[in-house]
Order: sequence, then structure tokens, then C-alpha cells
Amino acid sequence: MECCGPGYASPAEAIKAPREKLLYTIAIYTGTGIQKPDYLATVDVDPDSPTYSQVIHRLEMPGIGDELHHMGWNACSSCFDDSSMARKYLLLPGVRSNNIHVVDTATDPRAPRLHKVIDGAEIKAKADLSGPHTVHCLGSEIIISFLGDAKGEAPGGYLHLNKDFDIVGRWENSMGDIKFGYDFWYQPRHNIMVSSEWAAPNTFMPGFDLEEVGHLKYGRELHFWDFEKREPIQSMYLGEDGLIPLEVKFHHDPDSTHGFCCAALSTNVIHWWKDEAGKWQWEKIIDVANEPHPDWPIPVPGVMSALLVSMDDRYLYINNWLHGDMRQYDISDPHNPKLTGQVWMGGLLGRAPVVNGVEMAGGPQMFQLSLDGRRLYVTTSLFSTWDNQFYPAIREKGGVMVMIDCDPENGGMTLNPDFIVDFGKEPNGPSRCHEARYPGGDCTSDIWL
Amino acid sequence: MTTRTVTIANRGNATYQVEARRPLLDALREQGVDLPYGCKYGGCITCAARLTAGEVDQRRQVALNNRQVANGYVILCVARAVTDITLEIGVESHDRLYRNPFLDPLEPHELKADIATPKER
Repeated sequence: MECCGPGYASPAEAIKAPREKLLYTIAIYTGTGIQKPDYLATVDVDPDSPTYSQVIHRLEMPGIGDELHHMGWNACSSCFDDSSMARKYLLLPGVRSNNIHVVDTATDPRAPRLHKVIDGAEIKAKADLSGPHTVHCLGSEIIISFLGDAKGEAPGGYLHLNKDFDIVGRWENSMGDIKFGYDFWYQPRHNIMVSSEWAAPNTFMPGFDLEEVGHLKYGRELHFWDFEKREPIQSMYLGEDGLIPLEVKFHHDPDSTHGFCCAALSTNVIHWWKDEAGKWQWEKIIDVANEPHPDWPIPVPGVMSALLVSMDDRYLYINNWLHGDMRQYDISDPHNPKLTGQVWMGGLLGRAPVVNGVEMAGGPQMFQLSLDGRRLYVTTSLFSTWDNQFYPAIREKGGVMVMIDCDPENGGMTLNPDFIVDFGKEPNGPSRCHEARYPGGDCTSDIWL
Repeated sequence: MTTRTVTIANRGNATYQVEARRPLLDALREQGVDLPYGCKYGGCITCAARLTAGEVDQRRQVALNNRQVANGYVILCVARAVTDITLEIGVESHDRLYRNPFLDPLEPHELKADIATPKER
């Protein structure tokens, strides 16, 4: 198909795209004790470049205390037919400050520049929202999930921005009986959106009090939305199998109804799909057992905080942040995943305390896969206050980005020995990297209409 | 205007005069004290400091659990000085702010105020 909008005509076309040469990751100083702004780091991932495996640019935010976390584009393949749109701006919400930073990555991809800041106080005043998380474009416009109202209380809602990044207002018509917000993904051909649940900002921002799970301060449900009507139509109570359901991803194939969610505390993968009768169903397909620890009176849960589906919909990648392993599952049959790869990096179990010469203070946390499915970049910090609880040494050692070589033909993953970015050695002191995006698209940035 | 004296123990006992009705974060930052902060409404503990003498009003904070309160932590973005006070600030004061929740559970009376139950005698 001839076109000149952003992205790719289909997932199959995206897989054939040129290899990524740069990636962007956020890095934080919020909560680290270093009084500097969080920043967007440009990492050189071109193996033919003299600065391969290094941070080559740092765009500081205007102030301190944002806690940058996740990011999203102003446009993706959902605008492939629209020649007036371009994947030019990356949106960087500050979870704590409520500011949304709009960054121009196209004028000079190696040195992104700040285009606009949507003031957190303005968002509170106009939309009664705080605690921004997931950014998705929506054709030419943008919606962002917020986990709280202006006072930091659940369930929050969705901020709607127009393509000039002006506040339109709230996107949703109703939150129904939803108790909490977090991540969301939509599949337009089925007019469906799925959202998940972390907790209220006032609950998760200060850190993790395990007892609050029992007091129902953390989520355990998935929500299915009528995407056009902008209201929830069905909630799935996951119970003990789905404590703290975080990331949600549909298959990239826009005709598919299959999707996946990682329940972080239960350390399970939940699979959903629409059955032949047109009814949405769910099941638990992966259950990572807690592991014994020499110094702990109770076994350690994996804490599966993220998941990702390869562009060909064949592999599912998950992390166990406290255990320290990344896993690859073949999900050709999404009801019956098969473990095909595993790599250890950091974690509390002592399996891989040093990776490529760098001492790890953290475990596999966020990850981003290349469009061809061969390179998985993994970072180690979760969220400043939670890092400080579980991996206090991260204050001195900082976060790390590693690369895992993945074999999409036969399955399997191996740690790449030539790539490591040690954010412990940043010029202003140890920072912590989290989510990453590639300028030309990756495996969490595009939705097809 | 009622003022209070804030002594910062881990900055060489430097002292500052602050308006009693103003949040300590704003009042101290205006006088050049480099303090961390995040949400600025009492919900996130990024600006937590430890109170070692005196009294503050921090009724607006919703981030600290009762153990953190008992250990002297105060949320500077909403706390106001009721008396002259002494603080330890910054990350050096955070040694008892963070704990591994699996290894060191909270008692029912140590939870956040909205869900805590009174201590049994």
C-alpha cells in the first residue's frame, strides 16, 4: 500500500523495517537523593557506531521531581493512511508531578528537544486527574490513563488531548464500577479496549505496603470497554490469580481478540479472548512459583511487572523482577504457552549478580523488542520508592540496560556480551532507566485500525 | 505573621525563619534549601524528612503509614511548623523510611491511618 503516514501498513510490514539505530529511555533522579531533573536518554544501538552501547544525549526536564516512567507517541500505524501525521513527538508523563512533557524527536533524532509541557496543575484543574501512566495515540489524537483524581484517589480516568496537545477533557464517558486504573490497549476492529489495575497514586507512590493488598487497596480485575461508547461493559474478577494486574497487550494482528496481562504480585500471565459465542473469556496460562531465599522466612514472588508480544504474535516475553529472570514463551497456541528461553540478570536470588562486568542492583523490569524480534533491551528499575525498598543498593549503583539476543526462528534467548549501558556512571551520578522506545517503532507502540 | 525557627541538623544546624501557616517545603526552598519533592500535595513521600524535635501539623499528608509517622517522618510539602522544630533532610534521613514489606511486615496499628486499627493492649 502506498502511503506516507507514520508507521507501517501491517505488522508483517513492520517486521521488515530497517534495524533500530537509536533508542530512547527515560532515566530518573526523583527519589534517588540526587537533586537533578529526570531526563530522556538517547542510547546508540548501532553496532557499527563508535559510540555503540553508550548514552549519546540527555534531555533534562525543566524541573525536578517528575518521576518519568512510561512514554508514548503522538502518532503510530493507526495513522498510516494520514499523510498529515508523523511519528514526531514522544510524550513523557511525570507520575508524581503530573506534568506531560512533549518531546520533538524528529528534528534531530539523536538530540531530542522539548516542544511543550502540559502543566500538571492545569490537568488537575481541567480534568481532575493525577498520576499519568500509559499514552496511546488514537488516530490523530491522544489518550493517557491517569491512576487518580486531583487528590490522588482512585480510580482516576483518561485524559484526552488533541493533536496540538491541548486538553480536550476527559476521554471516557463513564468509569462504571472500576476501582483502579493502570495500563490499557485497544483493538479497534473489535471495538474493544482492555484496562488493568495498579492502585491509587496515594497508595503506590509512597512504596509498597504488602498489607494494603489484603485491604483491597490494590487491583485484581481486568475491564473490557466499548471503545466507541467510551464506557466499560464487563469486568473480570481475577481473584488470587490476578493480584495487581499491570500491563495489558493484545496481539498485534488487528483481527485477533487474544490478549495478555501480567499479574505482578501473583506472578501469573492471564490470557483473554472472545469465544465463538462472542463472549469474552479469561484463563491463567503461566504461573511462576515463588522461590525460596536463604534469608527470607517466606518464598520470594517473581513480581511480573511487564509483558510484551513479538510483532509476529509468536512470542511472549515476561520478567520476574525479584527473581531476576527474563523469559520467552512460544504462544503460537495462546492457550498453551511453551517456555523457550530464559536469561538471568540481577534479582534477589543471586543467580546473576554481575552482568557483563556490571554489578546489578535490581532485576529485569521494563523491556522493548526490536520489530524483527531479535533484540530485546531490558532495564532494571521499577519505580523509585519500590526500588528503594527491594534493591536499596540501586542508590549507589544506578540502573542498567542490557540486550538479549532472541531467536525468532527456533526460540531461545542469550545475553549479548557486547552491550551494556551502566546508568550508575552517568555524569550527574547514578540514575535509573525504565521504559524504552525506538524512533521507528517497536513492539509496544503501534495499533492497526 | 507568626514565625517559627527551623533547624536543619544535617546541614550544620543551619536555622531558618518560616511562616507558621506555610508548608515547610515552600518556605525552606525559597530560602535556598535544596530539598527533594514530587507530588506537592502530600501523597508521595519524595519530600519526606525526619522531625527530631518540635511539632508539625501534617494532617493533609496521606502517604505515610503509622510506622513511618512513629519514626518521625514528616511530609514537607504539606507540613507546617507548630513550634520551633529540628529536621534531618534529604536521603540521609531516609534510613527508616523504606523497608522490605515481605521481611518486615506492619502490625495492624502501623498501617496508613485510613485502614489502621487501634493497637491492642
